[in-house]
Amino acid sequence: MSTAITVPEDLWEGDNEGVITAWLVNDGGQVSQGDLVAEVMVEKAQYEIEAPADGRLTITKQEDEVVEKGTTIASLDD
Amino acid sequence: MIGRPESTPMSLQRPSVEEGLAAEEALLEAVCQGDTSLAGLAWSPTDRALVMPRRHQRLAGFPDARRRLAAMAWPIQFRATGGTPVPQSPAVVNLALAIRCRVGDSAAHLDWGYRRLGDPWCDWLASLGVTSADLGPAPGAYCDGRYNVRIASRKLVGTAQRWRRVRGCRDMALLVHGAMQVEDTPGELVAVVNAFQAAIDDPLRFQAGSHIALRDVLPDLQLEPAIPRLVARVLAWHVVPEEGS
Repeated sequence: MSTAITVPEDLWEGDNEGVITAWLVNDGGQVSQGDLVAEVMVEKAQYEIEAPADGRLTITKQEDEVVEKGTTIASLDD
Repeated sequence: MIGRPESTPMSLQRPSVEEGLAAEEALLEAVCQGDTSLAGLAWSPTDRALVMPRRHQRLAGFPDARRRLAAMAWPIQFRATGGTPVPQSPAVVNLALAIRCRVGDSAAHLDWGYRRLGDPWCDWLASLGVTSADLGPAPGAYCDGRYNVRIASRKLVGTAQRWRRVRGCRDMALLVHGAMQVEDTPGELVAVVNAFQAAIDDPLRFQAGSHIALRDVLPDLQLEPAIPRLVARVLAWHVVPEEGS
């Protein structure tokens, strides 16, 4: 089963775009639900993105790529 | 030793840059762990460093820039909040506020967070007789943003944030930080950031005229008694919701 990691809709208000500033886990790494996996920056505010489930991480949006709320940035596979 | 977050020391603390940044991280973690829902810390470093988000390490010229800045006695350190390089030195006073926010409230957004720190900061300045302070951008300033504390449109305080989910629930923990230049001329600190810009081969240069130091407007201010009043104002402040929000 695959679980998408998305930029949550409730992290900031408005339609501003963010940028992925860091992946805290390498592509292919194993993570547990609740682990911090990435950071997104909007307007000098850093937001931490957590893993929504256990699994092996496949990164689809790289560091320095622009993202919007709801953007899928990675997936987790059993 | 810096005061424990839950005790929120009101007096100005004097740690090293590294210790100050670690104390700010501890404030955020204390909120995440549920130890407190509101805490603040005012500090001014005893040493100096050019502080930036860790992503700057990926710049092609970063290793050389780090060596060049170290040779100028401005070592590079990293911080947890967003933005771009900012000098930290005994000329700078920092105020960090960590606060727990409920998602879905108006208090769970970055604009609210910036106002939560910036509005009482402007109010504190007004209490000292500086009535022209407001929040806004300062084009030409380093680490510019929409929510600097400005005097006459010049940047006095740069602000940045970090947001983290509170363990075990949907609440968020916010760390909002302000760095205010108090002493020295703005040109001295701008020169440090411009030296980094040159070292990474970025043609963008910042302007001293876009910054202002507190001493420029309050030359006789006694900092030690004044800063606790700023901390108290920030901790006690309640943001008035904008109409329609």
